[in-house]
Amino acid sequence: MKRNLSVLLSLVVLASMLLAACATPATEAPATEAPAMTEAPAATEAPAAFEGMMVESPDCNYGGEFKSIEAVDANTVKFTLCFPDPAFLSKVAFAAFSIQDSDTLNATGGDSTKLSEAPNGTGPYMVKEWVRGDHITFEANPNFWGEAPKVKTLIFRWSAEAAQRLVELQSGTVDGIFLPSADDYETISADPNLALVPFETGNIFYVGMNNTIAPFDNDKVRQAVAMAINKQQIVDNYYPAGSAVAEQFVPPSFTPGYSTSSDAAKWYTYDPEAAKALLAEAGFPNGFETTISYRDVVRVYLPNVNQVVQEIQSQLAEVGIKVTIEKIESGPFLESVAAGEQGLFLLGWGMDYPDATNFYDYHFASNAARFGNEWPDLVAEIKAAGQLGDPAERQVHYDEVNRLIKEHVPVIPMAHGTTANAMKADVGNVVMGPLNENFEEMTTASGQLVWVQSAEPIMLYCGDETDGETFRACEQVYDSLLGYEFGGVAPVSALATAWEPNTDATEWTFTLREGVTFHNGATFDANDVVATYTAIWDASNPNHKGNTGIYEYFTGFFSQFLNAPK
Amino acid sequence: MTKFLIRRLLLVLPVLFGITFVTFALARILPGDPCYAALGDKATVQQCADFNERMGFNDPIMVQFVRYVGDVMHGDFGESIKDGRPVQQIVIERLPMTIEITIGAIIFATTLGILLGIVSAVRQNTPVDVVTMIGANIGVSMPVFWLGLMLAYLFAIILKDTPFWIPPSGRLSSGITIAPLAETFNLGELSGIWGVLVGFASHSVVFNALITGNIVVFKNAVWHLVLPCIAVGTIPLAIIARMTRSSMLEVLGLDFIRTARAKGLTNKKVIFKHVMRNAMLPIVTIVGLSVGGLLGGAVLTETVFALPGVGTQLVSAILSRDYAVVQAFTIIIAIIFVFVNLFVDLSYGFLDPRVRMQ
Repeated sequence: MKRNLSVLLSLVVLASMLLAACATPATEAPATEAPAMTEAPAATEAPAAFEGMMVESPDCNYGGEFKSIEAVDANTVKFTLCFPDPAFLSKVAFAAFSIQDSDTLNATGGDSTKLSEAPNGTGPYMVKEWVRGDHITFEANPNFWGEAPKVKTLIFRWSAEAAQRLVELQSGTVDGIFLPSADDYETISADPNLALVPFETGNIFYVGMNNTIAPFDNDKVRQAVAMAINKQQIVDNYYPAGSAVAEQFVPPSFTPGYSTSSDAAKWYTYDPEAAKALLAEAGFPNGFETTISYRDVVRVYLPNVNQVVQEIQSQLAEVGIKVTIEKIESGPFLESVAAGEQGLFLLGWGMDYPDATNFYDYHFASNAARFGNEWPDLVAEIKAAGQLGDPAERQVHYDEVNRLIKEHVPVIPMAHGTTANAMKADVGNVVMGPLNENFEEMTTASGQLVWVQSAEPIMLYCGDETDGETFRACEQVYDSLLGYEFGGVAPVSALATAWEPNTDATEWTFTLREGVTFHNGATFDANDVVATYTAIWDASNPNHKGNTGIYEYFTGFFSQFLNAPK
Repeated sequence: MTKFLIRRLLLVLPVLFGITFVTFALARILPGDPCYAALGDKATVQQCADFNERMGFNDPIMVQFVRYVGDVMHGDFGESIKDGRPVQQIVIERLPMTIEITIGAIIFATTLGILLGIVSAVRQNTPVDVVTMIGANIGVSMPVFWLGLMLAYLFAIILKDTPFWIPPSGRLSSGITIAPLAETFNLGELSGIWGVLVGFASHSVVFNALITGNIVVFKNAVWHLVLPCIAVGTIPLAIIARMTRSSMLEVLGLDFIRTARAKGLTNKKVIFKHVMRNAMLPIVTIVGLSVGGLLGGAVLTETVFALPGVGTQLVSAILSRDYAVVQAFTIIIAIIFVFVNLFVDLSYGFLDPRVRMQ
């Protein structure tokens, strides 16, 4: 009986599976036809004379930053913006906007997967092989426009475990590793065969408060919390050497942005007694009970999150604020903070591009709910600073921004974390910074360098990617119009040799490097720049596909797509 | 025999259906939005809404499940959320590595485990027996993750610059590669089942090197497998050793063994011809069950040794809520486990003629 039942059940399942298999698969919705574009038709044969592409928005009402992109001639490209963007150079230097060969883009339809199968850039390295899951081998590009790479073979491997990466380095099978555990810094420094390479990163760890959730809707409560936290103690105990207590929301290297004068330059001093007095003034003479939420995710800006949250809990208890710790899984936590549901929370930010707008605009002037209702005076100053080209004029507004952040206390700037990579001591000329590493300039005895990062690159086309491990790989293969100086944050010449803004910084004209070829031999010209940007900017462009189609960095940097679907 | 086989194969169906359903449900019950995992921490609410709509995650779970089962029945495991590649391709790239480790670990565990079990049983209550069983108990208790790191530390760092140095991680040494079989044998672009099989064989580096006669790659690949196989095989080794010992002791005490000895058979003949054959049944069962443990252990082992197998892919897929990849690998591991156990059941009949499968 039991056996018959089993057989019967099996037959039923088999039949239902067959039915499911025979069912007509859901048909895909027909792709919407791309609207006519204003660009010149792509040439199918080699044109006698250069025919420059141009893509233009009829107006600026669509909500994006670009008005037009135009190939003025083969070596000149002009961006016209809808409003001034003082961070434009820092943005176009980012790896997400590395320049693609227009023919390759057309052949692949801008599909990240296809573009990653045979990456075709202008960068110092060409992809020799990508053994999925294991390694990528890059070979020096013999036609690289810059100085020939000293490392002829660059191999990227990956391992999620910092301890495992260190074992590899110690055993001598690799030449450099990404982010060893801070606990191992001493071991590395003490090993004569290894070298610790510390570097600053543009980041901030902050305690956020939401002004629509009681009792944090009271200015004095937020100020009291700011005075009750001993930041120095937290940095001393839970951050690696070189990290700094944050006085303002942006790191000190951000100029304009960081205030060096005025009362905005220094945050509230740690003063529990003053905090208690403020709480009493606010109507909480005996303190109050609240919840602090966080996610258990290690970041450079917060390397020991569980210890730090406990430390904050004990410090706040000293002024009468009894805090319950609530750990939330990363995704729901970010969602909840973004929805303005957390009154007191720990979070941080690592820069996307080195400009103060990347910190201030996103957090305090983007209609976001994470800190509750935005403060109009703060928003006005941030917007004003973000529409000026002159650094000194911008700084005047940022001084006011920093003063207002201190007054309103939407956040308590806590710390700027620092981090380090580790290399074999015999690797020469190592320069590492927050935005890149100078692999092509490093020297090894064999001419081969093996680097272990923490994850496999997702793609080798970075227009629609977001993670640093992928960008690092793309930076070896591609160039953007500009790059970042090794070890620093300043934009420097790459595929563009010169650039010129108009007086109000709404037009940027780039002079392109001549004689540059892609890895497949195609000649680089201004149409490649227009095609690359258009594939991302114009949602109706046939090459607007990418990986997810989100192009998060583009929309983050330049707001809206042109022809975005309703 | 045929009826037994058909019945067992039919019973595989509800098992796989159940696993598919549970995996599908569990993947979606897990907290965390695949959107943030795929698009990053800074994705906006609107971007996530668009993403979920495009991926079909806004549909009721049952609708998603029926659609998924239909796709699987068409041989389509879907595409990875993370990199947009077909999951089938990812399986072809990752599964051979895990199978190589599993086979290597099984060879290590059964060979050494049975040997130690026999020695321990034959020399019961001697220092050899005590030491072996203490070692087996330690082996059972050692976490794979910790053991892997310790082995890597010992062989790659402490024994650095000695002939006993073993690479701590990776599939092959940097700079050593092997061409796909299709390229080696000029097979051109293969598709369909041949594409799958040749792709699978190509990614099995040991197999590829063996049939192409590439001794350098073969030796290098096996060398890289040593530590992972020891790490993942230690627990099964200890279990097999203990099981062999107890099983053999039980048989050694039976009358027919005394009779065999009385007939004047040598000790070697008694042990290997009579005792072993009769003691093998529980050992084979344990070996079969160990395959499941080894496949599960691959998650940790591959992470520790940075190997491009199912384990590392599965961890990455779980963390990034890459549902299609998680489901496909879970189903494939389940299929392997089910068929290994079927094979074990069938082997009973060969090992013990008293077992009749009607």
